[in-house]
Amino acid sequence: MRVLVVEDEVRLANNIAAALRERCGFAVDCAENGVDGAALTEFQNYDLLLLDLMLPGLDGLSIVRQVRRRRDTTPILILTARDERAQVVELLNAGADDYLTKPFDLGELLARAKALIRRGKGVSQPVLTVGRISLNTVEQTVRCAGQLIDLSPTEYRLFEYLIFRPRAIVSARELLEHLYDYNWQHHSNVIEAHVSNLRKKLRAVGEETSIATIRGRGYRLEAPEKQL
Amino acid sequence: MKRSSLTRQLIGGVLLAELICAAVFAFVAVGHEMHGRRRAFDVMLRGRADSLLGAVQDAEDPDDNVVVDPTELVLPSQDVYAVLNPAGRVLGQSPAAPPALFKGSGGSNKPVYFNFKANGTWYGAIRFDGMRVIDRDDKGGLRRPVTVFYASPTRDLWHGAVEAVRFYVAAGALLLAITGIVLVWFLRRRLSPLQELAAIAGRVSVHSWEFVPPGAVLRTSELAPIALSIEELLKGMRQSFERQRQLTGDAAHELKTSVAVLKSSLQLLSMNPRTAEQYEAGLEGLLLDTERTEDLASRMLALARLEEAPPEPSESSELKAAVHTIAERLSPLAALKQVALEVSGEETGKVAMHADDAEVLCSNLLMNALQHSAPTGHVSATVQTYDGVTELRVVDNGEGIPEAALPHVFERFYRADRSRSRNSGGAGLGLSICKAIVERANGSIHIQSAVGKGTEIRVALPIAPTP
Repeated sequence: MRVLVVEDEVRLANNIAAALRERCGFAVDCAENGVDGAALTEFQNYDLLLLDLMLPGLDGLSIVRQVRRRRDTTPILILTARDERAQVVELLNAGADDYLTKPFDLGELLARAKALIRRGKGVSQPVLTVGRISLNTVEQTVRCAGQLIDLSPTEYRLFEYLIFRPRAIVSARELLEHLYDYNWQHHSNVIEAHVSNLRKKLRAVGEETSIATIRGRGYRLEAPEKQL
Repeated sequence: MKRSSLTRQLIGGVLLAELICAAVFAFVAVGHEMHGRRRAFDVMLRGRADSLLGAVQDAEDPDDNVVVDPTELVLPSQDVYAVLNPAGRVLGQSPAAPPALFKGSGGSNKPVYFNFKANGTWYGAIRFDGMRVIDRDDKGGLRRPVTVFYASPTRDLWHGAVEAVRFYVAAGALLLAITGIVLVWFLRRRLSPLQELAAIAGRVSVHSWEFVPPGAVLRTSELAPIALSIEELLKGMRQSFERQRQLTGDAAHELKTSVAVLKSSLQLLSMNPRTAEQYEAGLEGLLLDTERTEDLASRMLALARLEEAPPEPSESSELKAAVHTIAERLSPLAALKQVALEVSGEETGKVAMHADDAEVLCSNLLMNALQHSAPTGHVSATVQTYDGVTELRVVDNGEGIPEAALPHVFERFYRADRSRSRNSGGAGLGLSICKAIVERANGSIHIQSAVGKGTEIRVALPIAPTP
């Protein structure tokens, strides 16, 4: 998952980014002002937008309006130091999904971020299941019939992204865009290597659910018919 | 507190004036009436006395005496009279002539009028000496002088006067009542704009600043200035309130953000087990964050102090000394940034500013100039005194300030480029503090800037009178 943090207080942005990376395994991009932030949202590579309300250049509310005008459904979480009711109502009506007032609890921020991403992908439980495999987004663990599968952080992130959309073809480019921030050198063969490792680990525990490679188009998480 | 009503006072005042007028008028009219009636009474007395004189006849006695022959006299029954000869003998009198009637005896030839009281009745009386000629023949006849006393009760005269007074008083009272009612109606009507103004002013509160004076108020020359000044005052207060609210909001935002940084840093540090080096780095960052929060708080407090507390008369300092001190203190930073820092000028008086404030002013201005200067840049601070004004000019050839941002640079928490300034540690309060310091010393501060060319700040301060 990839998150955009638009916050002019650099120290705060760095802390949020570090927490999202460490605890959730998300790729995080930061923008220091509204204009840069709004420009980054246009790529639509993000699974969550974290916006400060008072920003130089362009304020959070304007960014929310811009994003929603494009019919972009990316979940938006607003950070605000002002908890004036009218402003909160205006924000939510403009299309923001949730808000947190500063100073906030970092743990709560992470929980809300995960919940918003889940909801954004049409899932309400923190545990996702395909066949015998279940992925716990809170613990960041993957189990097959109760048995823990040891995955590297990147493998987990890759699997998490795929399991949110079982049976859908996900291109290597999309995976790159949603798993890495813009500081990363984009090479699709990195994805190929991780997918191959993931397959091996799943097969090792005797799981028939597999990640199919659709040549020229991408990857697909195969799921048993009864799941749908 | 007991309140006095303007309407009531006006009505009362006008009615009182009217009452006095009516009373004076009634008094004068009654006096005039009385005088006229008295004159008519006197004429009547004289007339009756004359007819009494006419009734003095020859007594047909050997001494040629005269007597009053009342047979042809037709006089009111309540009148009393007497006719005396010069010897004092009564020639004739009314049946009940009181002795008091004769008190006017002895005197001039002119008729004498007088009043007396007898048997419980007041009389108006006349006495005059008349001449009766009897046995008139060619030689003239016999001359018989007599003194006539005639009196008539004044009861009727007074009765008439009292009637007249009654009439005047009644008419006056009626007039007073009518004008009073008209006055009340008229004043109520004319003073209604005043009440409207009071009602509208009464509706103004902290939550409702609406104050639109009605047309009737604005058309009244006495009320229009009041209404307009209230409107102006409210506008100013509303703006001040809005500014204050904005300011409180901004201050809360800054403080909450500061706390959010500290809290998230701590939570991040405790989220996962870390190495000693990571903890050390984290603590170092936290210390910096804490220092920034501390700086923010102290700057906010400094600003509040400058704006709240009135200046003390003892505050005075030399701007030149402050500039030199600060320049010396900042010279390592200037050397680090490779910026030439130059201080010059002369000063011939002290300004009404606390020495600490003067240093803060110079420090903020020079620090700003240094921070916005590129390497090999140049910053100069000049102090000059002319016409009783000390001027401090801080000029840099740094990056300058965009024109759109210039009007806002003295606003609190304003940063032309927020993200960059945050990194340099400013909270957007430096120039606000400068402005507050300068205005506290009755001075003025102006800024000129062009992007790419540099910034010039001029502070003009009046020289304080030497104690």
